[in-house]
Amino acid sequence: MTRVRVTAPRSAAKPVRDSREAAEESDVGQVFVRSLIRSQLRLAIVVAAGFLLILLAFPLLLGLVPGLAEAEIAGIPFGWLLLGAGIYPVIGLSAWLYIRTAARNEARYRDLAEGG
Amino acid sequence: MNPVVGIAAFVAVSVATAVIGFYGLRISRTTGDFYVASRTVRPWWNASAIGGEYLSAASFLGVAGLVLLSGTDALWFPIGYTAGYLMLLFFVAAPLRRSGAYTIPDFTEVRLDSRPVRRVTSLVVVVVGWLYIVPQLHGAALTIRITTGLPSWVGSVAVVIVVCLTVMAGGMKSITFVQAFQYWLKLTALAVPIVFIALVLAGNGAFSVAEANSNPTGLAPTGPYQNISLLVALLFGTLGLPHVLVRFYTNPDGQSARRTTLIVLGLLSVFYLFPTAYGLIGRMFAPDLAQGGRSDALVLLLPGRLIGGPAGDLLSALVVAGAFAAFLSTTSGLVVSLAGVISQDVLGGSVRGFRLAALISATVPLGFAFMTDSLALAGSVGLVFAFTASTICPALLLGIWWRGLTDVGAIAGMVTGGVLCGGALVAGALSGPAMSGAAMPQWLAQPAAWTVPAAFAVMIVVSRATKGRVPRTLTKVMTRLHTPERPLATERQGTTERP
Repeated sequence: MTRVRVTAPRSAAKPVRDSREAAEESDVGQVFVRSLIRSQLRLAIVVAAGFLLILLAFPLLLGLVPGLAEAEIAGIPFGWLLLGAGIYPVIGLSAWLYIRTAARNEARYRDLAEGG
Repeated sequence: MNPVVGIAAFVAVSVATAVIGFYGLRISRTTGDFYVASRTVRPWWNASAIGGEYLSAASFLGVAGLVLLSGTDALWFPIGYTAGYLMLLFFVAAPLRRSGAYTIPDFTEVRLDSRPVRRVTSLVVVVVGWLYIVPQLHGAALTIRITTGLPSWVGSVAVVIVVCLTVMAGGMKSITFVQAFQYWLKLTALAVPIVFIALVLAGNGAFSVAEANSNPTGLAPTGPYQNISLLVALLFGTLGLPHVLVRFYTNPDGQSARRTTLIVLGLLSVFYLFPTAYGLIGRMFAPDLAQGGRSDALVLLLPGRLIGGPAGDLLSALVVAGAFAAFLSTTSGLVVSLAGVISQDVLGGSVRGFRLAALISATVPLGFAFMTDSLALAGSVGLVFAFTASTICPALLLGIWWRGLTDVGAIAGMVTGGVLCGGALVAGALSGPAMSGAAMPQWLAQPAAWTVPAAFAVMIVVSRATKGRVPRTLTKVMTRLHTPERPLATERQGTTERP
């Protein structure tokens, strides 16, 4: 999805303000900053909670389904495969998802703080 | 095992470390270079260095040893060690980089605008660092004793000497190269022998894992409380490890700090497959090592046992080299960050002060290592994580995400967490050798599940009670922590200088 911004091109003569200073000083800037912090925190908590749920589901699955932990795949018991290797792709996927969304939150903040 | 193998491996790793370290010396000229490599380290280098620094004796020897002892229960250790980085990515990585601070005490001082908070944080960081170095030295002692037959103290002393020399010579810049090299050395040292072992076992037709669920020790499986408490310690403890955090300042900006963490997660995930494999194969073919406190030596002994002759010797040498890389890299990473803290707070922040502080940071834990016994390595490192999770972690998390934190609240919380968790550790250590851990009450053996919430609660309640002390710089600092940097060219000038 591409977003089209319609703004006047910044003229070279206009001095470029440091967006961080602008954000610290103005009330509007602070509204944007607070909303950025809130969305980043919400994102972190949601992804962390999702990951922890999956993490807890793994041993529950092994405990509740009889015989599953002992079932062998290529000679290795499934319980060992799941806990020894299966969790790592979940970790990588959560990290990738988080980084993408966090960067998107920041891009949105930049658009608001600097584009307006 | 042939004693020459162990000694040769140790000498080779030390020489390689020193050569890379001295090569780095030519590049580092300013105080900034000494502390954080001037923030010019590329993500792949940086991630390899973080991996190299993080994978300690506990990961290299301890995880396989614990898997040998307690089977799938032990797999929560590598999971926790890796997932801790995930939490670090979610809650800490980018804001911490953007804070522009060099060390954790720098961060708390900037955030809370208070010298006393800095002092308390420094004290906690030094305690954590020292606690964490001790198991590394125990690992070195064990490795030297098992592989060469020399007295244990030789291993600890040798590691301290090599670390002091490299750190005092080059500081962080050379450390970055050394650590990155050591990650790949550690990975190779575990991966190559296991491939040969698997080939030999497959050739013998003995490769059936059916016995993996046998229990060589007869230890009772750990209960859910212990697993959950361990996970709390590992997930939240990683956030506060001083040598891990200092690495994030070497990223050029917040987004690259995140990217670095993603690469680190990949490197750790690949690495931990191997200690697990050693443990699994050890349960089938070397269950006798579970007796007599030799489980941590499993990784060192397995190649020699399953593959005899010169090939076995070569592979053993490789594993021993990897083990020393683990002790050296973690210890030197800790010594660098401790020396940074000690020299800035006590010795005035000069390069000379840094060298002196490095010497102090490395020799004090040597004393502790002589006075204490070697516990199960993964377990004793797990306890250090519990301590960090109860002290530095709440201060960092609340400092980054909660505007209400005050200096009094932060100090009260860190002291509470430190006293509770430290008390549990001391009580646990006094109540008998750690091997009889089953006899110890669970809440004492794994304290994180109650000490971490306690530290958070005290920090929040006391901050609420001292609302008037919220720093006046709050808006400025919070904006800086969370907003993206300007495009690199302008951002450089602003933050590479130390304020």
